[in-house]
Amino acid sequence: MLLLTCPNCGDRNVSEFRFGGELSSRPKDPSALSDAEWANYLYMRNNVMDAQTEWWHHNVGCGLWFLAERHTRTNEVIKTYPYVKRET
Amino acid sequence: MRTEQDALTTTSNRLHPKQGEVIDRSTTIRFTFDGVEYTAHPGDTVASALTAAGVKVLSRSFKYHRPRGLLCCSGHCPNCLVQIGDEPNVRACTRPVEPGMEVRAQNVWPSLNRDLLSLTQLGSRFMPVGFYYKTFIRPQKLWPLYEHTLRHAAGLGEVDIDTPLGEFDKQYLHTDVVIVGGGPAGISAALSAAETGAQVLLFEENPALGGHLRFTVPLESSSTTKASKDLPELLEAVDRQPNITVFTDTSVLGWYQDNWLCAVKGARLFKIRTKSVVVATGAYETPLIFDNNDLPGVMLGSAVQRLVHLFGVLPGGQVVIVTANEDGWDVAADLQSLGVNVAAIVDEREPSACASPYREGLTNAGVPVFYRHTILEALGSNEVRGAKIARLDGQGEISLATAQSLQCDLIVTSMGWTPATELAYMAGGKSEYHEDRAEILPVSTPPGIYVVGRAAGTHAVNSQISEAQRAGSNAAAFVGFGEFDESTAYSSGVLEPRRTSERVCVPGKKKQFVCYCEDVTDEDVETAIAEGYDSIELLKRYSTISMGPCQGAMCSMNTIHLCARANDWTVQETGTTTARPPTTPVTLGALAGQNMEPVQTTPIHQWHLDHGADMMVAGLWLRPNHYGDPAAEATSVRERVGLIDVSPLGKLQLTGPGVPELLERIYTNQWDNLRVGRVRYGVMCNDEGVVLNDGVCAHVNDETWYMTTTSTGATTIFEWLQWWLQSGWGEGIHLTDLTDTYSAFNLAGPQSRTVLEKLTERNLANKAFPYMRLRSAKIAGVSCRLLRIGFTGELSYEVHCPSGYALHVWEALMDAGREFDIAPFGVEAQRILRLEKAHIIVGQDTDAMSDPLSANMAWAVKLDKPDFLGKPSLMRISAEGPKQLLVGFKMVEPNVVPDEGLQIVESEADGQLKIVGWITSSRFSPTLEEAIGLCWLPPDIASQNGASFTIRMDGHLAEARVHHGAFYDPDGERLRM
Repeated sequence: MLLLTCPNCGDRNVSEFRFGGELSSRPKDPSALSDAEWANYLYMRNNVMDAQTEWWHHNVGCGLWFLAERHTRTNEVIKTYPYVKRET
Repeated sequence: MRTEQDALTTTSNRLHPKQGEVIDRSTTIRFTFDGVEYTAHPGDTVASALTAAGVKVLSRSFKYHRPRGLLCCSGHCPNCLVQIGDEPNVRACTRPVEPGMEVRAQNVWPSLNRDLLSLTQLGSRFMPVGFYYKTFIRPQKLWPLYEHTLRHAAGLGEVDIDTPLGEFDKQYLHTDVVIVGGGPAGISAALSAAETGAQVLLFEENPALGGHLRFTVPLESSSTTKASKDLPELLEAVDRQPNITVFTDTSVLGWYQDNWLCAVKGARLFKIRTKSVVVATGAYETPLIFDNNDLPGVMLGSAVQRLVHLFGVLPGGQVVIVTANEDGWDVAADLQSLGVNVAAIVDEREPSACASPYREGLTNAGVPVFYRHTILEALGSNEVRGAKIARLDGQGEISLATAQSLQCDLIVTSMGWTPATELAYMAGGKSEYHEDRAEILPVSTPPGIYVVGRAAGTHAVNSQISEAQRAGSNAAAFVGFGEFDESTAYSSGVLEPRRTSERVCVPGKKKQFVCYCEDVTDEDVETAIAEGYDSIELLKRYSTISMGPCQGAMCSMNTIHLCARANDWTVQETGTTTARPPTTPVTLGALAGQNMEPVQTTPIHQWHLDHGADMMVAGLWLRPNHYGDPAAEATSVRERVGLIDVSPLGKLQLTGPGVPELLERIYTNQWDNLRVGRVRYGVMCNDEGVVLNDGVCAHVNDETWYMTTTSTGATTIFEWLQWWLQSGWGEGIHLTDLTDTYSAFNLAGPQSRTVLEKLTERNLANKAFPYMRLRSAKIAGVSCRLLRIGFTGELSYEVHCPSGYALHVWEALMDAGREFDIAPFGVEAQRILRLEKAHIIVGQDTDAMSDPLSANMAWAVKLDKPDFLGKPSLMRISAEGPKQLLVGFKMVEPNVVPDEGLQIVESEADGQLKIVGWITSSRFSPTLEEAIGLCWLPPDIASQNGASFTIRMDGHLAEARVHHGAFYDPDGERLRM
């Protein structure tokens, strides 16, 4: 079973976590989007076979949503870190 | 035919006592096999006791019902699968005999020795490889007959569905180093790793450590078996080493990500997290494929050695040894020293290739040796009566003219080894075919994974020990104990002489079995390849080779060779099938573990039980469904007063200046104008516009809001809010889950104010505390939050109190209500009451496709807000118009209550019924005395109050009519009393 390092709690079995999908963020102004762009946000994922940044939630632990960089083919977890909001 | 008396007195196959045997001859126990009584000694397996009694046929084969006897005697082949009591598919060669055990042969009809279904061999042209894809298909209407017959004929043991649930459990283990396999290599690796200070778990599938040293004889003269340390020395060292924990009778089933291993010992499943793994799982002796190679009496050399040395049992009196290596000569010497008549040693090699230390002794003793010979056929009908052998010519082809028959009752094959490396490959190890060894051996493994001993192709005990010592200290060093020994590489095994023959199959005319589990012959393999299933993975799936109980232990290497030859590929090009768990069969009970379903209970749980509550599971909670009569409970609420425990409601506290903006974003309606002391109903959607949850939220004071969610959605919504707060919307907001901290009860009914007034000084008059307001109050001395809301449709107060005082508050409310004939009510009464008000339940009346505009909640959606979750999707749905609408209905026949989930249908022109909707909720309303419900309908029907539609009932159709608004008190006057 995959081990994930929760930034708060350390190495834990992956069964303690909920997968949150690849990193994406909600568009800033949804009303400015076309239907196609909105559908793209809702349903389209990159689904790479490579290192992927993704959301995880320590749902039976501390409750932290954090980011993991994981290789989707080998399942190797390269790093995990807490999300920090950055203004872009 | 053998009689019971014969069986009890036949013990002629038992040898004199010898050192190393595991049986206790001072005691005799009795058991039965197919109703006949046999004796055994404690320590005997079912198979060893039966072999001692001269029983050769233990089972009938899967497809052709051919008699089968002991083959591997190591728990890896399917030949000795028996039924013991109600337990099917037990391996007789590993299961210890217990007094009174009732053992039965499987897959036989009518009996083991006269199985009429073995006639299927005559019709075997109807069961070619992949027959279940080809035959018995047409005509289709005959399939029930085919199926009945095939079910009867095929398969293994019988499952007794009345068997009581056994006791199973799971154990979690954590360690530095796991060693899989307790032979000389595994023990040596464990000792080296443990010496560094690492914690070591050592797993062995047999009842004792020792591996092949338990049943091979390390004679002084034998260079191949003389060990630098003997077994007792190794075992003593393990005993003395406190860092090693030994698990015997334990099979490691699989390797999973990050060194997570699964093992099983009887009814206990182990889940093991380790930092490094040493695979010392040994090798399977590979059977030879020749005519009638499945005849009882054809056994592997290692099987004979196990029987002889562990159980003191001789499986035959006159033996032909078929070999291609020194191991066969070891068996011959072993048997000859015990007085067995070795009728012949048939060695496919040139005399010059034979380096056995026993060669001279056996030749001098007059044992006939046939060099450059091999076996053509096992002779006999139900068991071995002889062997037909022939010479190999210069090209290695069979010279049929030289064929001759030898008399014997046992044919031993020692043709080579298949390394048991499944775990290493599951962990990502890579292998290569070594032409000179004719074995597929590991060439690399991921960091922290090591393969040693026979699994790595190393057979010489001294090499096994030194190689394993290195791997053991490296495994410890990988974890941080001691230093790495850089000299480790997968090479030592390659330096050894060849032990495995490439001649896996001797061509013949009769049935030759590649796969004993599924009765697949060499001809089947050729046919499958000719039909295009040429890759090894396709061949496996089509022929089912290696998919039976042996999981490839007996057949995988032979199949690869046959596949390579048929395709004219090299073995390396042919490749191997992917190794997957489980390595050996495991019971579903062991995988399932204990029958535990954790549930949450409220602080009032015991009170509910004491008052006759019928409890139901709702989400993770145990809740009272009713206390005997749900309709009467509903009537109490309508006419007087009732009290329900709604503690499972999700209760979230939000504090901070950022909360109003968050509420605007997560709810579909307006929130920034909610004044202190007010409560509002809200719906939450995801960005697809699908309803996630509903509930109320109260503005408690300046910067505090108190939100409730549905009971079953509490955890999900907490996670959902955490997500939005932690991914960017969390500025100025604290979120606290108070679901367990607070308990909640709904006091509902026209008398509820009067009851509550008895317990508080707070003014509860309608003016002071109107509908949809929140007040803090002391109830029976306890600080509570009161929410005046009305899911039931009556005047009601939701009392939220600290869980530690919950029982006190509950009992105080019940006491205060006694003079008004208060009744506790359960989930069922609440469902009736809310349905009478046409209040929806998210998850009951909505599903993963329901949007609030269609689900009759358009009034709670404010599309002119700047933005909220789901808005763009709801804008689109609003523009297009909903495809279905959730709406109330009444039945034309008022006493007919249609089941929830039934279809709503329309007749089409051709008379066929088309599904146009479905029922989500329905009850008989005790208040209105008629059946009511909620359903999804196309908008053209749903929008007309009174429109009639048709429900498909069980076997007939029923009429219903659309009903707009609440069924009871449509103007909501009673809520505002």
